[in-house]
Amino acid sequence: MTEVRLADESFLTDDFLRQLINVGEVDILVGVPTHNNAKTIGAIVETVQAGILKFFPRERAAIINADGGSRDGTRELVASAAIDDAQRRSKLYTLRTLHSISTQYGSSPARGTALRTILAAAELLRAKACSVISPESTQITTDWLTTLLRPVYSEEFDLVLPTYSRHRFDGILLTNLLYPMTRALYGLEIREPYALECAFSGRLGSQFLAQNPWHDETARAGSEIQFTLAAIAGQYRICQSFLGTKEHVDRRAADLVPALRQTVGALFSSLEPNFSLWNAKTGSHPIPTTGPAREFTLEPLRVNRKRLRGMFSTGVAELESVFQSILSPSTLAELQQIARLEDFRYSAELWVKTVYEFAAAYHKSVINRDHIIQALAPLFRGRAYTFLVENGNGSAADVEDNIEALCLEFERMKPYLLEIWNGRE
Amino acid sequence: MPLKQDALWYKRAIIYQIHVRSFCDSNGDGIGDFQGLDQKLDYLEELGIDTIWLMPFFPSPLRDDGYDIADYYSVHSSYGTLEDFKKFLESAHQRGIRVIIEMVLNHTSDQHPWFQQSRSSQENPRRDWYVWSDTDTRYQGTRIIFLDTELSNWAWDPVSKSYYWHRFFSHQPDLNYDNPAVREEMWNVMKFWLEMGVDGFRLDAVPYLVEREGTNCENLPETHAVIKELRRKLDEQFPGKMLLAEANQWPADLRPYFADGDEFHMAFHFPLMPRMFMGVKLADRKPITEILQQTPEIPPSCQWCLFLRNHDELTLEMLSDIERDYMNDTYAEDKTMRLNLGIRRRLAPLLDNDRRRIELMNGMLMSLPGTPSIYYGDEIGMGDNINLGDRNGVRTPMQWSGGWNAGFSAADPEKLYAPLIQDPVYGYPAVNVFSQRRTQHSLLNWMGRIIAVRKTTAVFGSGSIEFLYPANHRILAYVRQLDSETILVVNNLSNAAQAVELDLRRYHGNVPIEMFGKNIFPRVGELPYLLTLGPYQFYWFRLRRI
Amino acid sequence: MREMIVTELTQAMQELSRGFAHILPRIIVWAIIAFVGWVVAYGLRVFLRSILRLIKFDKLAENAGASQLLTRAALPSATELVSRFAFWVAWLGFILLGVSVLGIVGLQGQIARFFLFLPRLFVALFIMFFGLLGASFLSRAALLAAVNANLPSPRLLSVSIRTIIIIFVLSMVFEEVGVAEQTMLVAFGIVLGALMLGLAIAFGAGGKDLAQQFLEKRLVHGKKDEPKEDELSPL
Repeated sequence: MTEVRLADESFLTDDFLRQLINVGEVDILVGVPTHNNAKTIGAIVETVQAGILKFFPRERAAIINADGGSRDGTRELVASAAIDDAQRRSKLYTLRTLHSISTQYGSSPARGTALRTILAAAELLRAKACSVISPESTQITTDWLTTLLRPVYSEEFDLVLPTYSRHRFDGILLTNLLYPMTRALYGLEIREPYALECAFSGRLGSQFLAQNPWHDETARAGSEIQFTLAAIAGQYRICQSFLGTKEHVDRRAADLVPALRQTVGALFSSLEPNFSLWNAKTGSHPIPTTGPAREFTLEPLRVNRKRLRGMFSTGVAELESVFQSILSPSTLAELQQIARLEDFRYSAELWVKTVYEFAAAYHKSVINRDHIIQALAPLFRGRAYTFLVENGNGSAADVEDNIEALCLEFERMKPYLLEIWNGRE
Repeated sequence: MPLKQDALWYKRAIIYQIHVRSFCDSNGDGIGDFQGLDQKLDYLEELGIDTIWLMPFFPSPLRDDGYDIADYYSVHSSYGTLEDFKKFLESAHQRGIRVIIEMVLNHTSDQHPWFQQSRSSQENPRRDWYVWSDTDTRYQGTRIIFLDTELSNWAWDPVSKSYYWHRFFSHQPDLNYDNPAVREEMWNVMKFWLEMGVDGFRLDAVPYLVEREGTNCENLPETHAVIKELRRKLDEQFPGKMLLAEANQWPADLRPYFADGDEFHMAFHFPLMPRMFMGVKLADRKPITEILQQTPEIPPSCQWCLFLRNHDELTLEMLSDIERDYMNDTYAEDKTMRLNLGIRRRLAPLLDNDRRRIELMNGMLMSLPGTPSIYYGDEIGMGDNINLGDRNGVRTPMQWSGGWNAGFSAADPEKLYAPLIQDPVYGYPAVNVFSQRRTQHSLLNWMGRIIAVRKTTAVFGSGSIEFLYPANHRILAYVRQLDSETILVVNNLSNAAQAVELDLRRYHGNVPIEMFGKNIFPRVGELPYLLTLGPYQFYWFRLRRI
Repeated sequence: MREMIVTELTQAMQELSRGFAHILPRIIVWAIIAFVGWVVAYGLRVFLRSILRLIKFDKLAENAGASQLLTRAALPSATELVSRFAFWVAWLGFILLGVSVLGIVGLQGQIARFFLFLPRLFVALFIMFFGLLGASFLSRAALLAAVNANLPSPRLLSVSIRTIIIIFVLSMVFEEVGVAEQTMLVAFGIVLGALMLGLAIAFGAGGKDLAQQFLEKRLVHGKKDEPKEDELSPL
């Protein structure tokens, strides 16, 4: 029986605790973090409810909503998914009461705090299997509930990460940095180390809740990827399940710098405490996967390549003084050389060197760490440009091959990272 | 204490279901009898029982434990004589205990002289007393009740070379209620026993009295007409007597059996019973509250009869498929425990011999709206023997002591009508009246106490019910009210301690007085009333404005 | 005559010896104070060095951009510099304290003034150091933000911010130290004012389109016409 340990200052409101008392122990818990998602949350919660009733009709289940101060009725929509004898509004027949409760953790959205709230609820309710669903996953089907939760509930896995069918140019940060680097360092072929929906066991959730430094801004902001890393570090059983197509509700270019902070920043900051875990690993191996590990769709997508190229060149030129503190002279020189070209190619090898040098610089805090992350942005754009050019006309298999080649490059150059890691202190 | 005159006595009764054969053997033949039963009336009076319901004791080939009657006007020789019965009846009345007997209206044994005559030829005057047919295709679509043994509701009679209708075993042909002679005769039967002094009848299998083509042959208007007629005669000639319906139907279909207070006085609430078991297993009150929400209002002179177990299997008929599967998987994992659409186990084994759960279930039985019926032996937590066929596993001899034949009979053990329960957990040396009488906190003494507490108020039998719906779904809470008396009942259906906040604003200012210990609890205020309950614990509070 | 000279000489010698005897103890005391001061100063230097090493002062100095300056000037590391500086200040302080014992009139006042001046010197150095640190940090932050937002002339922006902050810091330092206070204040005011005016004119005249776009994006939630940006999402 895990010991319940909350933070010194409790961040759970009295009202939420009261609601948790009423829910009691559950077998299945589905957490939904929200902020002004009234447009999409109704259908999502209905699908979750239907999934629970279809695949876990006898289990004690609850839906927990952690809301960041919505003003559009999101919380009420979630609460309406409850099925009990008092409301008598549901026409569904169910064996059991299904609780759907909501709490507001703050007045502005913070995914880290939302996750923490869900983890705390899972621990207090002693949930065996938990899942987090993104409030923007409009493509959710009832099958998601069993795809995500069954491996944890019945097959003793601790973490189930999703895999998707994506556009080949979608998630370049994932395919060109997060996936290959996590794979190279930690030895596991996890396609989506940064996942907005996943499922996990109660024991993993409790451990992460206890060990993650929630007061630390970086740790909180990057909690999704920290969660994956915690599972790796704790040597929990991890698997992947295919969830179908990944859709973005808003397809405009998402802010790159915040994305970098949440993912790359968190990844870099995890390297030091987990050094003993990753420094000795060589190679990588796949993890149990249900369904395809990855699917690519090839429909045309409007991309402003000129802009990417321009920002890369400008970045290299203008940030020279910053790069001098971060990169080795040879790498910087190479970058400056290709940046001058009209049609440059940011090779895999150069990219890997760049990333590793950034990681080492981050580790040594040569300058402010957040500045290091920000400095990576223009270089990433350059790499994205090359990726688009190289895979513009390729088939899905070609794209996969290129990503695989990049992964192998990351693995091959791992000794280089170790070398500069232990270098001048 | 002699019988009190009370037109609505059945609303305040505590019913105890006895099978004469199983209760006490006075003559050493291994079979219980009326003289033995007479000897045990003190025990029942002490327990607080005021109504006995006797299972069929008529002459019968006993192929359905007496429900196949071969003579309506006599007593089976194994159980004694008519004189013995009369004496027992008188003794019971002297102690203030009423007696209702079984009356199987729907069918007789195929050994009954009526059937023997009916089948003998097409011209026989009693030919029309049963439902005959040349083919077995009439009344298509009528469900079969004894699924495990019967393949059809028609049986071929080689003697009269035609088919006869039987809703139960094939050796129990259905009487034909379209025949006025049948109706007349059955009233005469009832009259015979009423004149002797019985206080009422449990009418077995009433939904099936009449058949009509193109229907499911259950709950037909013609059936209700038959009952109404019987009731009319009863009220005219024998006021103060009671008719109890055995109709395993959904609440909406049960309602017509009360009509406007001119059919049955009481009916068993079959759909509620399995849901009580389900609620405790799920630790969720939803099944219980929902069935009671669907239960219609009944006339003020009518009453539901509530029960936990009886002589039959725990019927799962009035459940949906998903509910039935759940009950079977959780209460009868061993498939030999399943019979027809039910589970043939006693109360204690069903509840894993968990004293807390047994108390909780009895607590609900005694506090939900209706008259409680206790199956013999459940007050001491008797076990069952599923190796005995059919439903005989729950009809083993009553365990009076740890001595010879559990004090049931002086005969050789091999002569007993059924073997005693002997395992170390439920066997008669462990579970018996004698030991439990001597143990202050035995289940038997606890049952006596809860019956006594229930009897201190008329609210439980006659009051209204209003459910509270606290957010904690493991708590079943309701308020019973009659005139100015208000009782709050709170039940914890889970095996873990619970905290619950009740919205008692309507009862603001009242002081809850716990009814067993009579201690006062904090006054009800404006804020939600917080209660904590141990595993399977329940509270009865009298809300007193003082 | 010779006797007079001898008497005068003897008298002079006696006065000298008297004077010497008068001042010798004081010199000895001064020497002792100086010696004690050296010990204390040395101890302080060691103590300060370990403290600074503990708080990774060198790292801070590097961030401030001070380390590079020091290396170029062939000076030792920041920690070393500060400890040595502290050593000399402390020892000098003790020496001067000892001098006051010598009783040389006129010097007392100056010494007192010196000691009064010291705290202000420290504060000024403090301001200078953290000011440089801040300037470096903020200018880099501005540079990165401007590059990532694709603004024109990010380096100009970064240098401008650094310059402004350094000027501000310098004027504070001078004010603290008390050197040409008024002049520095006025000069700073003029420079800053001119800079602001220039920026305003430049922005108003040349950047009004940019301003319009910026405001539109922030305040007008109307039609989101076809994104001229790409549809890529990094995650």
